[in-house]
Amino acid sequence: MAQGPGLTPVEYIDRFFDELRTEVRSNPALAARLVKALGGNVVFENDTKVDVANPYAIAAASTKAEFLAIFGSMKLAQLKKLLKEHNLATRIDMNGKSAEQLLTMMYNRAMNKVSERRSSMF
Amino acid sequence: MPALTAAIANLKGGVGKSTTTVMLADGLAYYYGMNVLVIDMDPQANSSQMLLTEMGVQAASDQGKGTHHLLASFMAGKPPSAAPFIMPNAVTLEELRLAEEQDARLGWISSLPAHPQLRLRELSLEEEWYGKAGTPTTLADALAQHYREAFAPLQSLYDVILIDCPPHLSPLARAGLALADVYVTPTIADSVSTWGTKQFSDWVGKFIAPDLPSRNFVLITRFRDTKYARSVASDLREIYLKDRWFGPTIPESVHVLNAMDRAALDSYNTMRGKYSGIIGDVGRLAERFSDFMTQQTGISWHKVRD
Repeated sequence: MAQGPGLTPVEYIDRFFDELRTEVRSNPALAARLVKALGGNVVFENDTKVDVANPYAIAAASTKAEFLAIFGSMKLAQLKKLLKEHNLATRIDMNGKSAEQLLTMMYNRAMNKVSERRSSMF
Repeated sequence: MPALTAAIANLKGGVGKSTTTVMLADGLAYYYGMNVLVIDMDPQANSSQMLLTEMGVQAASDQGKGTHHLLASFMAGKPPSAAPFIMPNAVTLEELRLAEEQDARLGWISSLPAHPQLRLRELSLEEEWYGKAGTPTTLADALAQHYREAFAPLQSLYDVILIDCPPHLSPLARAGLALADVYVTPTIADSVSTWGTKQFSDWVGKFIAPDLPSRNFVLITRFRDTKYARSVASDLREIYLKDRWFGPTIPESVHVLNAMDRAALDSYNTMRGKYSGIIGDVGRLAERFSDFMTQQTGISWHKVRD
């Protein structure tokens, strides 16, 4: 059992969870992974959505309306970041496109990739 | 001048054959304005997927394009002809697309894509052939002859033909190797890849190209800069394959993975956007390979873009 001068085992554990809490507050991607690992349902909030939401996973698990509801409130810059980070569009593809057009592109391309890559065994 | 045909091949899987094929196609088309045909003879269809996307590969197949359809034409006893099975546009680079749009084509990529159906068709052909007392060697020879005649009319349309070969020696794979003027061998700086490369080199040298060393371009891919990898790479260059041309070492990088994941068939990227942190490596690869081509053919190539 871990012990040191002046700290009880419970205090060690408290320190560990304090660190974890701090990290989870500032790192939404980690928070989402931990919640998912624990079987929880990740809720996408506007300010953290771009760090947490995976368009492929959401396209695979949702209807188009649900997908659009999740991503529809995102700003143009956030949509561009998300498309780029998930290899769903290049800068060239996104040039001159509105948020609405990018949203449609994100849904169509994510759905295409999901249907192309998902095993037909399921 | 007829195209130079290069087989990108190694018996060892996972050494970057398809990635090398695509990087060479992009690099030669972009920097040297070459007209490139990529023939995918690997049923895994990885280079086809990298160029056309999964959906594009399926669409091509539905339109009757691809190496499996070419094989079916052989099986049906049709006259040799490859042109109907080629996708004329497999360009992913915005600069090439724009140049074409402005009627100033400076580099282009076409694709004779593969499809997983290819292996099934080949198995069916093998069963039929062996049932008539044929052998793997007579089948490989017949396929090579058919393909040689099928590609002959296309030779003057392209500057270079890249054949992405599968990591085995089936009759179709052997036919692909027999078509090549030169051999590009990607390998990894580790012991198993070194041994696999040696086996492949020995086999090709014995059965297909006795003068292999003078026609062999070796590329160390997925390089991780460790003391061990540096030592293996050095042994490859100075001991095991010391009589070959070596390309630049391609680092293991997330940029390579990103570059090979095309978002959609109507998605284009600039050369810098596509290759990002490895653009210099792709440039050096194209430069070194164009030098190799010059040495092989006597034709000098000049850069059309920086």
